[in-house]
Amino acid sequence: MIPIPKKGTPAREAMIKQHRECVDSMKGVAGFSVLKCETPGDTTVVTGGVHENPDLRRVLLRMRGESPKGKLVVICTKVDAEWRIGRLSGIRGVPPKFVDDQVYADEQEIQHAIFLMRLDELPETAGMPENFHEGWKHRDDNWPVT
Amino acid sequence: MCAMRLTGYADKFGVHPGDTIKFYVNCDGPAEFKAEIVQMINGDTNPRGPGFIEKPVAADANGTYKGRKQIIHGGSYGYVEDAPQFHVDSFTLQCHIWPTTPKTHPRYWKHGAQGLVTKWMDGKGYGLFINEDGFLEFRINEHKITTGVPVRDHAWHFVAASFDAATGEAVLYHEPLIVYALDPVIEPVKATIDTKVVHTAAPVALAAYVETINDDPLGKSSLPAGVWFTGKYNGKIDSPRIVKKALTRFEIEQMKGGAQPGLTERRNSGPTGELSALIVAAWDFWDGISTIVAKDNGPYRFDATLVNCPTRALTGYNWVGENFDWKYAKKEYGAIHFHDDDVDNARWEADVEWSVPEQIKSRFYAMKLTTRDGDEDYIPFWIVPKIGKEQSKIAVMVPTISYMAYANEHVACNAGGAELFVYRVPIMQHQNMFLAEHREYGGSIYDTHTDGSGICLSSRLRPILSIRPKYDHFLAQAPWQYPADLHLIYWLETMGYEYDVITDEDVTYDGLARLENYNVIITGSHPEHNSGTQLDALHNYTQRGGRLMYMGADAWYWVHSYHPAYDDLGRGVVTEMRRCESGIRTWRAEPGEYYHQGTGELGGMWRFRGRSLYSVAGVGMTNEGFDISTYYSRTPDSLDPRVAWAFEGISYDEPIGNFGLVGGGCAGLELDIVDVTLGSPPHTLAVATSAGRHTEAYLLVMEDFGFNQQGLDGTVHPRVRGDIAFHETPNGGACFAFSSIAFCGSLPWNECRNNVSTLVKNVLDRFSADGPLPPVPVEAIKHRGRADYESPALGVTT
Repeated sequence: MIPIPKKGTPAREAMIKQHRECVDSMKGVAGFSVLKCETPGDTTVVTGGVHENPDLRRVLLRMRGESPKGKLVVICTKVDAEWRIGRLSGIRGVPPKFVDDQVYADEQEIQHAIFLMRLDELPETAGMPENFHEGWKHRDDNWPVT
Repeated sequence: MCAMRLTGYADKFGVHPGDTIKFYVNCDGPAEFKAEIVQMINGDTNPRGPGFIEKPVAADANGTYKGRKQIIHGGSYGYVEDAPQFHVDSFTLQCHIWPTTPKTHPRYWKHGAQGLVTKWMDGKGYGLFINEDGFLEFRINEHKITTGVPVRDHAWHFVAASFDAATGEAVLYHEPLIVYALDPVIEPVKATIDTKVVHTAAPVALAAYVETINDDPLGKSSLPAGVWFTGKYNGKIDSPRIVKKALTRFEIEQMKGGAQPGLTERRNSGPTGELSALIVAAWDFWDGISTIVAKDNGPYRFDATLVNCPTRALTGYNWVGENFDWKYAKKEYGAIHFHDDDVDNARWEADVEWSVPEQIKSRFYAMKLTTRDGDEDYIPFWIVPKIGKEQSKIAVMVPTISYMAYANEHVACNAGGAELFVYRVPIMQHQNMFLAEHREYGGSIYDTHTDGSGICLSSRLRPILSIRPKYDHFLAQAPWQYPADLHLIYWLETMGYEYDVITDEDVTYDGLARLENYNVIITGSHPEHNSGTQLDALHNYTQRGGRLMYMGADAWYWVHSYHPAYDDLGRGVVTEMRRCESGIRTWRAEPGEYYHQGTGELGGMWRFRGRSLYSVAGVGMTNEGFDISTYYSRTPDSLDPRVAWAFEGISYDEPIGNFGLVGGGCAGLELDIVDVTLGSPPHTLAVATSAGRHTEAYLLVMEDFGFNQQGLDGTVHPRVRGDIAFHETPNGGACFAFSSIAFCGSLPWNECRNNVSTLVKNVLDRFSADGPLPPVPVEAIKHRGRADYESPALGVTT
């Protein structure tokens, strides 16, 4: 597995920069991917991002495969105008809670904010034997979908 | 945090002119609400599109109404009204159970004891429970006896309890059917209780217990009205019995066989005559699987009404794995799986009724609900002309079965965002936030229940917050299903077409009669879920010269059937679907559980019932990805005179649809291709393709490969693409398939002045004209093979 890059390392800074460029270029697209639109807001030609940066791709996959409990999610608080970051409870019937008061005015911008938070929250050895827990024995990861 | 104080539903999806439609509204807080009928034009609020558009409709139902709270009493159970025979002194309760959440998190939405077989309310009566610690518990009045042993989830256990009124001896049995090496022995628990069972008017409850009986207005939507059930159990129950004597363990064993009516020398076996005379009720869940009644084959015929449609046709404790169709091994299918979030009918009281005028256009409509405080909800419905009174030559077939399949979908929350397939962090709308808390509104067929088992039934008699305008779906970060289909409606309105609206229900029940008076049928963007009679009707229509415009992708995929037990409430109330051996499945049916409980038919993909999805409109779904969309390019097939007319005004080299309100392009989300080996007619033309342009989020469907291997994504796999396709059908009919769920999202772009719009207009103008399509060039009529040309499967491998 690719380790989650440590704070302050050039690898991490490079990943953040690539992610940032992709997010900026996707503003205005009715969808989102960590790819760079050649013309901002236009998906005719997309390059970079997960297609050309294998480490970024794998780190994102690892983040996406994390268990629902405590997972960060976007909550739209005003249709097509305002978004905030929430955290899933992992318990059926208990809705997500906002993590802070920050309101985002762009639905893509928040993708980058969550990427940065996850880089900080995930240990370098996430998914490796050092982090073994009982959940591994009953599919508590997010790969089976539901 | 994001409370929706206004929610509602209607008694019908489709209503005929001259008929009445009722609206049921929950107005939780405000004293009154305003109701207005509107015509729906565009539901997408994206600032790069035309914006939200509705048109007021003058209607005598428009006005201000008194608001009231109405709630859903979710969770399935069975009940039998109180009867003197249940007023026992000594008794035995017994059943098999396969619990799925014997122990729940303290914050779980229904944390607490779960009822198994109960006639217990407020400390009076008797019953068998799983308590909040996950232990088996026997209650007699206020007394509770427990094994103190956790009941293993997803495992069969035999459980029983007896009470002898004369001696006061109570015995509780917990016998796991599978015992692992390190499992301690569970001895029966015995206690002496000095009590006499106090009887109440509470019904007998299976998989629940009665909390209270009162005349609170909110209790009216319970069944029976006024009886509040709680302790909804998650899991299977098989063959529950109530006997009016404290049986010995041996007698309990004999009683597992249940009532054996008509015992003679030549038939049946079971409890002795003496023992049989003690039966109060012996429910055989294998009997009447296609109904919503749990049959009591005991002497008193205490059939239990099943509320909120628990799942049936599931393997029982005695399933041996040799029969897979319940119809041929009913007694191995004696399990009912109850869920605390099942819902078949909200059972609200009507607040608004509208008699639809005879003279009104068939269109997309909604009841718009608002309050002075800014609350808002829409209840969509469709005005469908009566057969023989069609208003247009064009009909839009609204994919209502697919809407039901996606109804109140919870994947963004349940599945940690399903981020691996949406390829980004999902966005939850306020509807998702409300549903995340209000599980009693039920989930979609994409979800798992609160206990993790798959949801295979969906009712339309509940507020369905995903069938709403101004709703972006997490899968697309854009409109999906209902609001996405409004992109098509906006285009038809803007282009000035007259069109009728029909639904899946209409086609399912009315067959060809519903279609044959139209020149062209236009589908929605994602008609994935279909009944067999609907596919029959489409086939019969296109074979007789009808024209089909398939506007999306991933259609004709899953087998659906409407549950016949709900026919008395209207058409298409509850739809059923099982996610069987293959296909894109957010959950997977268990072994032996592939056949529908309602109709008994084999569920799963139509493809695996020999009805290829490719055979309906010439293309079939091969891939899906949910990040961004791309565009189509013309192929040499588009120059064929059979189809070149469709591209008038579009140059050969221009990108088709590299813009749009769904993913930023017309080719995206889920995509279909031509494959003559899988059912596309041999003369199908693949006139445009998006090959080579999809992201790595797009993956080949699993039914198209048999071996996991690298290279299944859009950056490398040749089948990860969409193909726009055309083929003729007999008698001047034809199918045009646009093969992408995102496709309709490009129609409104630039006020409908774009090349996707041009293409669709060319096709619709030709398809909607009276009479058969012009004859094809004579040289096009020739013998064609299917796979007798160069093919990897048949080619020489040297």
